[in-house]
Amino acid sequence: MIDEIAEYALYVAFLIACAIPFSAYINKVMAGEKHLLSRVTGPVERAACRLLGVDSGEQMGWKKYLAVALIFSVVSFAGLMAILMLQGVLPFNPQGFEGLSWDLAFNTAASFVSNTNWQSYAGESTLSYFSQAIGLTVQNFVTPAVGIAVLFALFRGLVVQESEGLGSFWADVMRAVLGILLPLSLVLAIVDVAQGSPQNLSAYETTQLVEPVGVTEDGEIVAQDDPEAVEVVDEMAVPMGPQASQVAIKQLGTNGGGYNGVNSASAFENPTPLTNLLQCVSLLFIPVALVFSFGRFVGDRRQGRAVFSAMFVIFLAALFAVAFFEMAGTPQLAQDGAVYMGQDGQSGGNMEGKETRFGVTDSALWAAFTTAASNGSVNSMHDSFTPMGGMVPMLLMQLGEIIFGGIGCGLYSMIGFVILTVFIAGLMVGRTPEYLGKKIGPKEMRMAVVLAICTPVVILVGAAAMCLDPATFASLNNAGPHGFSEVLYAATSAGGNNGSAFAGMNCNTPFLNTVLGLEMLANRFIPMAAALCLAGSLAARRRVAASAGTLSTSNAMFVFLLILIVVLIAALSMFPALALGPVAEQLQMVL
Amino acid sequence: MKSMANWVRGLGLFALATVLCGAVYTAAVTLVAQVAFPYQANGSFVEGTDGNRYSMLVGQTYRDDTHMWGRVQNYNAETFTGEDGSTLLWTGPSNISPASDEFARAVADRVEEVRAAHPEQGDAPVPSDLVTCSGSGFDPHISPAAAEYQVERLARTTGKSQDEIRAIIGQCTQRPQFGVLGDAAVNVLAVNLMLDGVL
Repeated sequence: MIDEIAEYALYVAFLIACAIPFSAYINKVMAGEKHLLSRVTGPVERAACRLLGVDSGEQMGWKKYLAVALIFSVVSFAGLMAILMLQGVLPFNPQGFEGLSWDLAFNTAASFVSNTNWQSYAGESTLSYFSQAIGLTVQNFVTPAVGIAVLFALFRGLVVQESEGLGSFWADVMRAVLGILLPLSLVLAIVDVAQGSPQNLSAYETTQLVEPVGVTEDGEIVAQDDPEAVEVVDEMAVPMGPQASQVAIKQLGTNGGGYNGVNSASAFENPTPLTNLLQCVSLLFIPVALVFSFGRFVGDRRQGRAVFSAMFVIFLAALFAVAFFEMAGTPQLAQDGAVYMGQDGQSGGNMEGKETRFGVTDSALWAAFTTAASNGSVNSMHDSFTPMGGMVPMLLMQLGEIIFGGIGCGLYSMIGFVILTVFIAGLMVGRTPEYLGKKIGPKEMRMAVVLAICTPVVILVGAAAMCLDPATFASLNNAGPHGFSEVLYAATSAGGNNGSAFAGMNCNTPFLNTVLGLEMLANRFIPMAAALCLAGSLAARRRVAASAGTLSTSNAMFVFLLILIVVLIAALSMFPALALGPVAEQLQMVL
Repeated sequence: MKSMANWVRGLGLFALATVLCGAVYTAAVTLVAQVAFPYQANGSFVEGTDGNRYSMLVGQTYRDDTHMWGRVQNYNAETFTGEDGSTLLWTGPSNISPASDEFARAVADRVEEVRAAHPEQGDAPVPSDLVTCSGSGFDPHISPAAAEYQVERLARTTGKSQDEIRAIIGQCTQRPQFGVLGDAAVNVLAVNLMLDGVL
């Protein structure tokens, strides 16, 4: 146990120690000030602005900011969908994969444009190098940049007075890509390669089998001397391609869409415990840094620390809960003591669906990190987690992806919860609700409520739609309550813009692809519109001086209230559904 | 016409991002990777003395009693075929609930199979990674406990001494990085190639 805690402490300390100084860097980049790399990024940014006719000093109102963000997303969506459907005739396709069906292309385009990276397919057997590197990787860069842009528009709305100015969307996106995402990805990709990740453009290789096997007429695997065998197979496929470059940005951009179907469980995507540390820290790095950026931006670092504290408390509770349940395992695995589940010379605990080099410790950690951030990459199979161990990641997503959450979107949704808390706390003590010197009026409240309940509504509507179609039953990999958990997890992951899965469920059907695709789009763009509307309305307000009657939004009491509101909303909306899935399975297991 | 200008900008930014984040970024990483780390960047292949090429990061199924056994795998023959039309194997995770009866039956069968092949171990509990499927389906490693469980059997079937077997295992063990990161892991393919004398 001491070893696990030491390792967790190392991961978390490393994350926070890097994120705090980086938050200052982010603010400089986004303000267009001089920074460490501005000698390189400055000229590129200026050239791009000239080429596109962008005035980087433009101050857009919220409607224009939203309109251009939507225009860019529509263009991205159409471009990506076209690439995916046409990959059969596009270059860099050594395996000769055909174009995707319309529903899979729709689902995948919706998924990558909404920063979800839900995957109804397995990359290594579906997508060409062109689709992976030119189609998906580009969205992996621009969608987090859009998130950062919208978040900074909201920051500006909180700070400016009686103005419309939220900044230039175009300049914000360029700065986020050039100054933040590209440099980090380059470093991470090279480290991944050095540790063992492939990065090439060759066709797939084969590896010799030490023990060849026989294959029957029906494609069943048998011993090579079995009389049923019609063919002896002595080689296994080894997918190649530009893996490391895509893996780096899928981690850093809270994207999560693996190059391979099994994502970072694959020894090619995540070869060693060191890459595991770096990839795991990467997936929360920018979301955590942005919380501190927030405090710096509004000129009161205590505000950032307060929001961070609320997120961090929930995060730690979730982390230790997953680790506890996975370490405990299940009686089905223990077999009355016939299977050794202790920790002497092995990881112990529930090893089904987990890699030996990571063990239960690093797998539980990753599950908590990836669902706290709306990343969705995995290094173990969540479908094979214990009932309660699998419920915690689900719950982290159902909170609305605000425990750090997706880049930009996590924090702007959390600010919705903060405003809600300010309002409720203000009602309780009879004070006028205000946040950072801005009065909270009915319009702000409406937007805050949209931010707070969009995710639960989208998830529940999606799950209900999937359950209404009897055909969904055929897609499940497990029976009973765990089967329902698979449906709920899929709806939650898409509705929370996360992208991880109980991967046994086959969601590649026209109906499921469509439902999940619509969920992803709704939860990306409804909160985005609400955040920008909120920003516009706050920007127009004058700042009032803090008085004795002002509720502090940076003390421990406020942090406690914020946690309470977040947990309450999720618990009230999600408990009935969770009771039918993981809770029922847990009861079945122990009774 | 003002809104048209923004559509053009949107298209322009998409095109620029495609060139910079898609083509240039991928090409730059590929170039550095191929120059600085050609072994890793091309799949971590080694050539055995038998002339065959093995990727050291791809775990396989080993059930011969002269080989060390690894994680449980779900080979499938449907996903890939070679250039000459021959079948290539591929594999994936089980995605089964560890609280299900189906899982309990599968583990019971595996325990029986492992115990039958290791009479030396009697009723000693079987290390959990020998009877579970991994996350990737091709986990190349097993734990030191699972390797140690097989030492006496390997000594009996290969004619090597237990110390020789342990020395091979030691050479193929990846310790926790920097002493704290991850779990110790034994590369089963490397052990088996050394047992067969092809590495």
